[in-house]
Amino acid sequence: MTLLLIVLLPLVGALLPAWFIRWGRNQSALAAGVVTGTAFALLLSLSSSVFAGEVPRADWTWMSSIGLSLAFMADGLGYLFAFLILGIGLLVVLYARYYLSEKDPMGRFYAYLLLFMGAMLGVVLADNLIVLLVFWELTSLTSFLLIGYWKHLPEGRQGARMALVVTGGGGLAMLAGFILLGNIAGTYQLSEILQMGEVIQAHDLYAPMLVLVLIGAFTKSAQFPFHFWLPHAMAAPTPVSAYLHSATMVKAGVFLLARLFPALSGTELWFFLVTGAGAATLLFAAYVALTKHDLKGLLAYSTVSHLGMITVLFGIGTAAAAVVGIFHIMNHAAFKASLFMNAGIVDHETGTRDIRRLSGLWAAMPITGVLAIIAAAAMAGVPLFNGFLSKEMFFEQAWALEYQFVEGVPWLLPAIVTLAALFSVAYSIRLVWSVFFGPQAEDLPKPPHDPPFGMLLPVGILAALCIVVGIVPVLVAGPMLAVAATATIGIAPPEYSLTLWHGFNIPLLMTALAFVGGIVAYWKRWAIIGLHEGPLPFPEAKRIFDGTIDRLAAFSHGTTAALENGSLQRYLALLVGAAVVAMGWPFLTGSWSAGPGPGTPLDGMSLVVWAILVGAAVATAALHRRRILALVVVSVVGLMLALAFVHLSAPDLALTQLSVEVVTVVLLLLALHLLPKEGPSEDSIGRKARDVGLAVAAGCAVTAMAWVILTNPVDTISGFHLAESYPGGGGTNVVNVILVDFRGFDTFGEIIVLAIAGLGIYAMIDALGVPDRWKIGSPDDEVRYPLLLTVITRLLLPLALLVSMYLFLRGHNQPGGGFIAGLVTAVALILQYVASGIGWTTDRFVRDYHGAIALGVLAAGATGLGAWLFGYPFLTGWFDYFELPIIGEFELASAVLFDIGVYLTVVAGVLLMLVNMGKIRNASAAAPDAADGEG
Amino acid sequence: MIGELVVSLFILVGATFALIGSIGLVRLPDFYTRLHGPTKATTLGVGALLLASVIYFSALREGLSLHEALITLFLFMTAPVSAHLLVRAGLHHRVESRSRAPAEDHGHPDPEAPI
Amino acid sequence: MLTFALTFGFTAMGLAMLLNIVRLVKGPDTVDRVTALDTLYINTIAVLMLVGIRIGSDIFFEAALLIAMMGFVGTVALAKHIRRGSIIE
Repeated sequence: MTLLLIVLLPLVGALLPAWFIRWGRNQSALAAGVVTGTAFALLLSLSSSVFAGEVPRADWTWMSSIGLSLAFMADGLGYLFAFLILGIGLLVVLYARYYLSEKDPMGRFYAYLLLFMGAMLGVVLADNLIVLLVFWELTSLTSFLLIGYWKHLPEGRQGARMALVVTGGGGLAMLAGFILLGNIAGTYQLSEILQMGEVIQAHDLYAPMLVLVLIGAFTKSAQFPFHFWLPHAMAAPTPVSAYLHSATMVKAGVFLLARLFPALSGTELWFFLVTGAGAATLLFAAYVALTKHDLKGLLAYSTVSHLGMITVLFGIGTAAAAVVGIFHIMNHAAFKASLFMNAGIVDHETGTRDIRRLSGLWAAMPITGVLAIIAAAAMAGVPLFNGFLSKEMFFEQAWALEYQFVEGVPWLLPAIVTLAALFSVAYSIRLVWSVFFGPQAEDLPKPPHDPPFGMLLPVGILAALCIVVGIVPVLVAGPMLAVAATATIGIAPPEYSLTLWHGFNIPLLMTALAFVGGIVAYWKRWAIIGLHEGPLPFPEAKRIFDGTIDRLAAFSHGTTAALENGSLQRYLALLVGAAVVAMGWPFLTGSWSAGPGPGTPLDGMSLVVWAILVGAAVATAALHRRRILALVVVSVVGLMLALAFVHLSAPDLALTQLSVEVVTVVLLLLALHLLPKEGPSEDSIGRKARDVGLAVAAGCAVTAMAWVILTNPVDTISGFHLAESYPGGGGTNVVNVILVDFRGFDTFGEIIVLAIAGLGIYAMIDALGVPDRWKIGSPDDEVRYPLLLTVITRLLLPLALLVSMYLFLRGHNQPGGGFIAGLVTAVALILQYVASGIGWTTDRFVRDYHGAIALGVLAAGATGLGAWLFGYPFLTGWFDYFELPIIGEFELASAVLFDIGVYLTVVAGVLLMLVNMGKIRNASAAAPDAADGEG
Repeated sequence: MIGELVVSLFILVGATFALIGSIGLVRLPDFYTRLHGPTKATTLGVGALLLASVIYFSALREGLSLHEALITLFLFMTAPVSAHLLVRAGLHHRVESRSRAPAEDHGHPDPEAPI
Repeated sequence: MLTFALTFGFTAMGLAMLLNIVRLVKGPDTVDRVTALDTLYINTIAVLMLVGIRIGSDIFFEAALLIAMMGFVGTVALAKHIRRGSIIE
């Protein structure tokens, strides 16, 4: 439970700072701090059991059919990461309070930050691959919000988009990989998968699965060639960079390598892919970092480089190397967060991040300078700082390598590593020396001075950690490293020593080489930068990315435009054509044929009806351009169809058909009033031939299918429905019982769709600016509202409502029901609108159709929920019979309540649509009048 | 069977009138006279058929069957109104009397024009 | 006797419906066609009555009732459209 709370607290608590901002910035920051602090305290409450070697777990079955459960575990690795996420998160919350300016919406910042924090916690504490993936993608989404926080900056938006595309896309590859992994292992439960390393690695699909999972990890951790999004994400506010690129976002990738280490590592493929990508990233990014003039750009590439180093360590695949990887994750988080915050302070207090403009800040910002020196020394790997320890251990691992990249060149990786360390020393010096020492800069945008205490405190805490870990590693980092390493490897880690002095050995030599070379490289940095910017132009990743995205977009647009040219006729032709092929195929291949069943005898009356039906249908198509005429002919089709339903013993369908028909006619008349009387003639002969051909083919196909189905003995579901209708649903009208009981959930969905459609039409028409009160014709306006019609329709209304009630009440057992009754009521009210006008009718009947729609949907929903009260699933029907004096036996069924919901929604939905359609014309007609009146 | 005879009679009368109404709709020379067929003869014919149904089911079920009465009420109330509105629509269109009107040539209806 | 009457009735009503269609096709004016449609609706009610008597069931009375209602509303809407253009104002 604690575990779930740790994850949920930031996610839910994200609302608090956004809400508290109304009382001030301090209150908002405090809310974010309290949320983070509480989660941190909860995590610390697990410490004793984690350090005792236990693994706190929480497991809720979510969808058991696909092996998905909401499972969390806090083993050493997860605990370490959660510690970093929450601990550094707390510092970032404090730092951001002072970093953000008055103009920045702080509540939103903290809300995004907490959301991201919750997503990260979900990733590191998940005990289920799918859960992990869900949170993984959530980190991509929330980091998008954070990186693009300054949405007025185009770089911010582009950087956020790039990060989302790369990491989100990588997440999709990872999803595929995880599904493969889940299939190989037979479970998605991480703790089980981690036990099955040998089975997984022996499987045929190991290689594709590994590549897919690694794409996910590499995109997240900005490994070559997916590294390019990270420097562009620097457009984010510095607290975001400090958080995302030290302890969280980019560490998710290496976290995944660590998490799946027992299951996936140790093969040759793993080594070449992981160490290869890591080594390339390590060297390349370290070199580029030296050439960057932007403080944050330099730090971004150094981050990429250090992630490369961690990746190399996991790639080596030995337990000892993995331990070092974990150790460096801890160290890097501390010094890199500190450095980013430091860069933010410099930016904040001087107004620039350009190293070429910054110089001699020591005099003005001594405290900042000291803290920067400490963190940079840790980054460079100077003895007595934490970075030195992990870097020495790294050298040792690289030297003791088991595999060789190139046969016979065992020194390749050590050489790469030393060279990268050399650049690392050089850029660390540049970061400190060029900024804080040398002549004092004259032309800074702001006069520099040390920042407020609140900004220095987080940096100071982290810098202190760098020193303490560097001097007494065993005491401070030892226990955490031990449990995290144990959890990563799966067994007790091999002997390792966290000491400063290992004697004169190869790693020490490599360190010395790196330092000497690094100082030289810094001294000669302009030559290197000149080389980088001049004769050795790097392909610019952003340009390539943008070009790729543009080409993809153009391709998508082209494909879409080719398929979807806006012609509804074409879509319909494609649709019908596909249906014809699908229906015709079984006939052509002979798998379908007519059965032995007898035909239905034909009588004269049916012949007449069918003839009229066919004729009218053809006439509708032929006359479609003369719109009113076509509408009249369509009405004939509808009427004949209703007769056909009657003939085929489907009274419910006939009733529905008749009511829908007239509603459609009214709707079309309303629409036709806004359109020309004649449709345009654009059809070429070819088009007409195509359409006629398609229509005939579709007709023949449907006929043939009906013929096959009706003549073959088929066992349909109707038998079940007929048999179960009365005992199961308490009604003798099967159609209605199906609607409100057997398939009640479908009906519920349908009325919601109807409600949405009605509201959608209302919203659309409302957006046209239709006035709420419009000009009402005088009540005795004989032209608009003929007296005879007005009087008779008012007499008819109660009669029609009576019919509607009758259809409703007996609907469960006889033809009728809520849907038909609703249509009848709607038509009766529409008649009032037609005869007496909007003003008269609105004044006397319901005005608030929205409310009625909501009431209807709620009534139906509440009926469904009511079943829960009695311990049955949603929408379980109930009915019983009662005896009352005088009235006699009668039935009460929950389906009737449901039907009331259907009824209300139908009435209000139909009226909302039709009446608002009617208002369009009246608004446009009334507009000049109104202008005259006021002008 | 008196009942059956009466029902049959009503059916014969009703169907005949309805048919005559429809014949009138086709045969009469202009819109205004044509309207007489359906409004008078057909309404009467359908009324007679509804009566036949009332008698038939009242005899069959041994109780008054009144659904048809509701339909009759509806029809007898609405038929004059429909006719009235159609005539007004026709007048508005200036459909010619006593001669075959030319093919539809009406333009957009002018809502403010007098009848 | 009843059988004969029903046969006559169906024949007459079928003929009547076909005649309605003739008027609907010939027009010439839209109001003629709407009149024909209205008549077709009413004749359909008659047919339903005959069907009811023949099968001895009143299951189609609701349909007949709705045809009477809906036919009227349809005719009113069409007539008002021809007369005024806008049917809800």
